[in-house]
Amino acid sequence: MKKFLLISVVLLLGTAAYAQSNETLIKNATVLTVTRGTLTNTDVLLKNGKIAAVGKNLSASPNALIIDATGKFVMPGIIDCHSHSMLDTINEGTLAVTSMVRTQDVINPTDVDLYRELAGGVTTLNLLHGSANPIGGLNTVVKIKYGRPASEFLFPGAMPGIKFALGENVKRSSTPNTPGVQRRYPNTRMGVEETIRDAFVRARDYKRTWDEYRAASAKDKNLMPPRRDLQLEPLVEILEGRRYVHAHCYIASEILMLINLADEFGFKIKTFQHVLEGYKVAKEIAAHGAGASIFADSWGYKIEAYDAIPYNAAIMTRAGVVVSMNSDSDERARRLNIEAAKAMHWGDLTEDQALKLITLNPAIQLGIQERVGSIEVGKDADVAIWNAHPFSVYARVDTTLIDGTIFFDRQQDLARRPELAKERLTLEQADPNKPPARGAQSPNTPRRRPTGHTDDEIDQQEDRP
Amino acid sequence: MPKVHPRLSVALCTLVLIALCSLGEAVAQRSGIDTYAITNARIVSVSGPIVERGTVVIRNGLIAAAGPNISTPPDARVIDGTGLTVYPGLIDSYTNLALPEPAPGPSPGGGGPGAFLLVQPQTRAIGGPNSTQPVGLQPEVMVEDTIRSTGNEIESSRNIGITTALTAPRSGIWMGQSALINLSGETPQQMIVRSPVAMHVSFTPLRGTYPGSLMGVFAQLRQMMLDAQRYRDSMQIYERNPRGIRRPETDRSLAALVPVIEGRMPVVMLANSEREISRALDLGAEFKLKLIIAGGRESDRVADRLAKQNVPVLLSLNLPRRTTAAMPEADPEPMRTLRERVAAQQTAGKLAKAGVRFAFQSGSLANMSDLMVNVNRTIENGLSAVDAVRAFTIWPAEIFGVGSQLGSIEAGKIANLTVTRGDLFDRNSRVAHVFIDGRPVDLRPAATTPLGTQATQDRPGGRGGVTGTWTMNINLGQGDRGATLTLQQEGDRVTGSIAGVLGSGEISNASMSSSDELRFTVPLNLEGQTKEATFTGTLSGNEIRGTVTVVGQSPGSFTATRARPN
Amino acid sequence: MKILITILFICVPAFAQQIGNPTTQQGVIPARGTFAIRNARIVTVSGADIENGTVVIRDGKIEAVGTNVNVPAGAQSIDGRGLSVYPGMIDAGTNMGLVEVPQGANGTVDTSEVGELNPNAKAITAVNPHSAHIGVTRVEGITNTLTAPTGGLISGQAALINLLGTAPKEMAVVPQFALVINYPRIGFGGGGFGGFVQAPPNLADTLTANERQVEQIRKMLRDAEAYGRAQEAYEKDKTLPRPDHNVVLEPLVPYVRGERPVIFRADREAEIRGAIKFADEMKLKAIILGGNDAWRVASLLKEKNVPVILTGIFSLPSREDDNYDVLYENAAKLQQAGVRFAISTGDAGPEVRNLAQYAGMAAAYGLSKTDAVKAVTLYPAQIMNVADRLGSIEPGKMANLVVTDGDLLEIRTHIRYLFIDGRPVVLSSRHTELNDAFKNRK
Repeated sequence: MKKFLLISVVLLLGTAAYAQSNETLIKNATVLTVTRGTLTNTDVLLKNGKIAAVGKNLSASPNALIIDATGKFVMPGIIDCHSHSMLDTINEGTLAVTSMVRTQDVINPTDVDLYRELAGGVTTLNLLHGSANPIGGLNTVVKIKYGRPASEFLFPGAMPGIKFALGENVKRSSTPNTPGVQRRYPNTRMGVEETIRDAFVRARDYKRTWDEYRAASAKDKNLMPPRRDLQLEPLVEILEGRRYVHAHCYIASEILMLINLADEFGFKIKTFQHVLEGYKVAKEIAAHGAGASIFADSWGYKIEAYDAIPYNAAIMTRAGVVVSMNSDSDERARRLNIEAAKAMHWGDLTEDQALKLITLNPAIQLGIQERVGSIEVGKDADVAIWNAHPFSVYARVDTTLIDGTIFFDRQQDLARRPELAKERLTLEQADPNKPPARGAQSPNTPRRRPTGHTDDEIDQQEDRP
Repeated sequence: MPKVHPRLSVALCTLVLIALCSLGEAVAQRSGIDTYAITNARIVSVSGPIVERGTVVIRNGLIAAAGPNISTPPDARVIDGTGLTVYPGLIDSYTNLALPEPAPGPSPGGGGPGAFLLVQPQTRAIGGPNSTQPVGLQPEVMVEDTIRSTGNEIESSRNIGITTALTAPRSGIWMGQSALINLSGETPQQMIVRSPVAMHVSFTPLRGTYPGSLMGVFAQLRQMMLDAQRYRDSMQIYERNPRGIRRPETDRSLAALVPVIEGRMPVVMLANSEREISRALDLGAEFKLKLIIAGGRESDRVADRLAKQNVPVLLSLNLPRRTTAAMPEADPEPMRTLRERVAAQQTAGKLAKAGVRFAFQSGSLANMSDLMVNVNRTIENGLSAVDAVRAFTIWPAEIFGVGSQLGSIEAGKIANLTVTRGDLFDRNSRVAHVFIDGRPVDLRPAATTPLGTQATQDRPGGRGGVTGTWTMNINLGQGDRGATLTLQQEGDRVTGSIAGVLGSGEISNASMSSSDELRFTVPLNLEGQTKEATFTGTLSGNEIRGTVTVVGQSPGSFTATRARPN
Repeated sequence: MKILITILFICVPAFAQQIGNPTTQQGVIPARGTFAIRNARIVTVSGADIENGTVVIRDGKIEAVGTNVNVPAGAQSIDGRGLSVYPGMIDAGTNMGLVEVPQGANGTVDTSEVGELNPNAKAITAVNPHSAHIGVTRVEGITNTLTAPTGGLISGQAALINLLGTAPKEMAVVPQFALVINYPRIGFGGGGFGGFVQAPPNLADTLTANERQVEQIRKMLRDAEAYGRAQEAYEKDKTLPRPDHNVVLEPLVPYVRGERPVIFRADREAEIRGAIKFADEMKLKAIILGGNDAWRVASLLKEKNVPVILTGIFSLPSREDDNYDVLYENAAKLQQAGVRFAISTGDAGPEVRNLAQYAGMAAAYGLSKTDAVKAVTLYPAQIMNVADRLGSIEPGKMANLVVTDGDLLEIRTHIRYLFIDGRPVVLSSRHTELNDAFKNRK
């Protein structure tokens, strides 16, 4: 019984929450508001999960948590518009059209990379299906409330979205032919277009069938409804403007193809993802009204990325496209601040333009700009406190808050390390954790972690372990 | 009342008697053999207070009476229960007992990125050749169709006091429909207590075909449930008046789902981690299913939701423990794993406190003697001993809808009893008798192994094992030669020795694969020379058959039979 | 400021006229000239910064550095007001020039030869001087890379190159600098997605298999040592039987004699320890490439004086419970322990140009800013035994210099001028050309 008590106490310590309050006053910082310029020696008051006030010499109630941010920088939490974190599986690669599958069914709130992203100032993720299929699955927009159950991650009111993909990944061009095995259609960019066209033609007919049924069943109650098809319903939502399309693509020809196809069916592409040749067709993208969510400067890793240039963000921004920088990688997601700054190095965007690339612009692309993406009174208290300007390579996050709650704090992380070490020693003494004396299996060889872009991992069709 | 003619009444009585005689074996075999009385025993009835000294009378397969002041019927075989405790027969709430081994499927085409592009050859559909769905999505599969009444595993379970088990299909997404069986009977029909009990779902993608990912699994489950709703509706409309309507196509798979979506048949979903259980609860709420969670390792974390949605848990007693050796080059285990293992012991106690209904299941434990060891862990970590007994008896009975037939020692219930020397969960106690359907069950000599013995090994995959003394016949072309083979198995490593006319000595390079293939080498005396012989054989129950190869000779064969399992 | 810009606009076309129309591929490299960068902040790296100084370049070398130096007649002047001069950065862990497009253009991939033991695979042979990666890299201030082959157990020999030249010979600073050995790894599944892979191998089997592989390397090195002795003996005494030549063993001789270093790719603690132990046993001059766990082995590395080229600054920590900054902090910990190290991208080609950010991140997590600059200039030069020629701004060294408008490691800084081997490099690349072609598309 004593052992049981001791272990419970240790477990509680191990999962201790940060010191919290529903009112936090960040004092005397340089505040990068994104929409209202940079304010020096300014306070930010967070209350009940919202930004309550921004100004000089603010006051707070006696039980408020006070954070002295003298010399520090406060910016909105970074929004990563292309992430595969916290997903137990990324691709349903068996079919070319998988609009019936949902990332929300497979989210894993215990993914440790979420914590590492919080330590990089990221607060919101757009969890996307992989790029195995021309029409992939439905997305999920989440706030990284690491430590909370999955249901609390869901971003309230985010516009639903879906992943499309064009180009080499869906053609499986890097997968060799297996003799005697039929390759999956499509194998060319011609087939990619036809796959999407066919899906929308069927969706359009499906919509008509249901519209006719609804009209007819108003009079005849005994009519059998048509079969509900979970694959076609999200496509109908796209046609009706109720679901955003996030389309992974690379080269100019396929970008134009999808714009034309969307125009033909009367819907808009919300964002092109990666869109590394977007700079070649910036005016068409702007005219269509699509946004672009891109790598800052990844290039050359495959043929369709060979013409990619780091000036992409600047050219498209100047052409009037809403551009965001994304990670498509748990590793890169930790340093999106530097990725955004790259647009000042290559292309000479202004600081505010560059800041928008990881704050307001991705918020617009996800339909959440009313709630996040800038530091304005009334918006959600999703902010990060940095020890230097976030665009400096020397900068580090001190604290990350979501809805006014601290989900990362460097000082507390450091303080917990010896406690965790002690907890480990205790846990290793518990009976189920003791290595067996005889007949034991050998430990497994540890796995090497993936690197680079999750979308382009050769084995991307597999499920993540 | 008109008077009945006397001849007619005699004829009527004769007819009635004949009718009674043909009512079944219970009447025909009525004799002293099927009446038992366990006297002077401690009775844990579960339905009432513990009786320190009492008698349980069994007759006709049912409990006739139980209590402190019951007189022993004259036709009863008496079992002296002094020092013994009688419990209701234990119910294992999730197994694959009595089902045939899965046939080795076609291998998923040599790993690697292109693998799922392969079109899987369709094996004979378990659900029937005309099923509209691929294997793995055939809810019409029923274990009732494939139950066998014998097998090693049934005996291992009985030996530790399990009388009844829920047996469910092994694989698939819609795995099929389970049955509750007593672990004794000459035919499957005699074993079945109730069938079907529930629909079973596991969230395991198919290989090589849609759904090939966990996302696809959810999408396909939803789509088929929607299709089942439509199927039911269209069938009803058609049946009301077929004229003028094209007939809907029959579909056994969708038909099998109709009771599920109407909440009449419970659905058991395999889920262990908090997020898996939450997903299952979400899906259950979406389609208003009568949900049961199987596995439930982290179910305590969602206990309030389970209680609110009235979802019981079939809690696995396969408590996680470390199985790997300590090695300096190995990474330390993740904290998450260390915490999980400790927390898993506390789940049962927390469920009980939160008012969540649950029952114990063996959870494919490789070694059934670990079962009681693990129950003790849950008791040490917060579960009361009384609730532990309930979780093996009345709670599973109620969850499976057989609460009037099983789960407690009350007159009229089925006579499934577990009789122990010592308290059920005591590490030194032994199972003395097991009654199923009112008949005592033949317990192996090995059944006198103490219930609470510490497990000596966790065997990966294999059941049965090769431990024991084997009588061998080796034929290398000059007739059968006898030998005695003594084997000891720990994990997948095997040690032992051989003794006989062909030589004596230790075996080497011995191993046991997870597909029950045994290999070892040993030097033998062959025509005056010592040569190394390699034995490769397949274990099946208490028999091994295989080949012997010696360099420079044509291969021979051997058989081995186990006399006494350890 | 306007005057400065005007002067710059005059100067850049002046370079252009000297070497003809700049294109991404150059058939003629710019000629060495005489230049004086005046009134600039000079970050010498080897000593204190010079706030307002002049650097004189002549005949490919740094001729003078200081506040009051003699500027030769006819030297082209570069106004360095508001600018900083740094040594060109060095990335000691790349495959630069060996691969153009790794996925989808196998013909452009020359990193790894067939077979396990390829000491005679010389990277310098296959470096493509016209690779687009070279151009986009040097315009970010990286003037040198160590280009190493990959694959197998003995991958081949790495070359230290200048990122300027029309032929490998023009580029080579040290054509065969080090033997590259992949110390057998503990860790499997490169992709990280293990869905269809068989169950992960167990550690005991992996260690046994690794030992066998080490034995293969050991045997070849011993053969090479015997080969070397036999060849030498014959040279001195022609009466001995004449040994045949062997193209595989021949190149190994200087390495097994400790005359040239051996680079071991190793990340995990057990791998690093194994590599050091092996090098000790075989008396090799070891360098560790990778070094994710180097901080755990710091005292051993210091004791054996084994330097580490860190490539994992931008890698995710390999263990679930690792501190989130364990790899960011690696360099600072090695610095504190007195272990010699350099910071590298570890990249095949396209990302080498971001080397500055790797060093910057190390400085965000404990390494001093000056040490961070050293980690991509002087320290790699020292590790590669070329500190007499590269890695700092001192008279007599090769004029590999980068002139910036701010802190070299900061991302917002722009590169204004670049010199390699005292030759002015036009700051254009495949990227700038595509930018120019499309930025005004209406």
